[in-house]
Amino acid sequence: MHSLANPGTIPVKGQAINVGMGQIATGDRATQFTSVLGSCVAVVLWHPRLSLAAIAHVALPKSHGQNGQPGKFADTAIPYMLEQLARMGCPKPGLVAKIAGGANMFRVGGPLQIGDDNVATIREILKTAGIPITAEDVGGTHGRKITFTCSTGEMLIEIAGEKAKVI
Amino acid sequence: MTSTVATNRAEIFRPLFAAATYDASAAMCRWTDGLITLTLDEVREIPLHSVTSELGFGDDLLTMVILGVESDPGTVLILTFDEDNARQLAATLTRRVRNTSPEWDELEISALTETGNILGCAYMNALTRLLGRAIIPSPPYFVRDYFASVIQQALVEQAAASDMALIGRTGFHREGEALNWHVLFVPSPEFRRMLENAIAIKPKN
Repeated sequence: MHSLANPGTIPVKGQAINVGMGQIATGDRATQFTSVLGSCVAVVLWHPRLSLAAIAHVALPKSHGQNGQPGKFADTAIPYMLEQLARMGCPKPGLVAKIAGGANMFRVGGPLQIGDDNVATIREILKTAGIPITAEDVGGTHGRKITFTCSTGEMLIEIAGEKAKVI
Repeated sequence: MTSTVATNRAEIFRPLFAAATYDASAAMCRWTDGLITLTLDEVREIPLHSVTSELGFGDDLLTMVILGVESDPGTVLILTFDEDNARQLAATLTRRVRNTSPEWDELEISALTETGNILGCAYMNALTRLLGRAIIPSPPYFVRDYFASVIQQALVEQAAASDMALIGRTGFHREGEALNWHVLFVPSPEFRRMLENAIAIKPKN
């Protein structure tokens, strides 16, 4: 059982779901999420006992009331993920979060340093929601490719020129 | 259907992108002693979540040179190179034997960065002339990273305004043969308005 919150935008192949900018997906123990991140942040909410999870590929911190894909903004993505998980029978108590991304790809002086704002806003929203962040890999100046395995809750992080790590 | 309509709408911008590409091509031709020329491949609006896959880059690690616009930090020009041909270009420009080390040395990086600078300046000079407004490029810098990571930060300002991204893509040719190099021009919403004004069309909303 797995689904994309924006059906029809990307075909789901097997149990691996590639989550693009602004998208949200949910999955069960058979699912793996992958995503490539720069200044965007992947937020994963995972229930260890049920092995159910949701992921959002967040591009911006706040929606300021704008319409659009809920996964695009941190302040709309997390409530939407909680709704989707609740529909799957996954309660909020017991959920933990892992986050990755928020790099400054354009270095100092380059255009738009949005990564730090994304991370700060996500931390704040998760704190308010009472969902602990159990692991994170954020910041820096390099992109990340992540693979999250719902059965184990492990997030593999690959950064160009560095050894892969699991958080 | 939506995608087709969006593509057609973006085509309105083609004359502007084509003129900028023409000037950039002339500059590249001079810089490489006639070896490399450019042609405009496409101007498209693409759903944000599928930009990387629709441009055909996947999760690739690429060699890139990035330039911004001084007065408009949301507008970005990205040159992407495949490794083999980028190494060859650097060797040609520096009149050295091609470097086989996995690491790029300073001279190679300098050659590609200067290529980006020449190309980007010509591209933006053309837009300055067409838009009647100074478009000054920021200093270029060299990146080896996931293309998806770079393009998503370039798209941040567009993402704040829409779920669709406007991108102009230019291709490179060496002696008539297409190379796996591209220039991607990603305008901010403000820059897009300037483009719309220049061709006197009304914004969507």
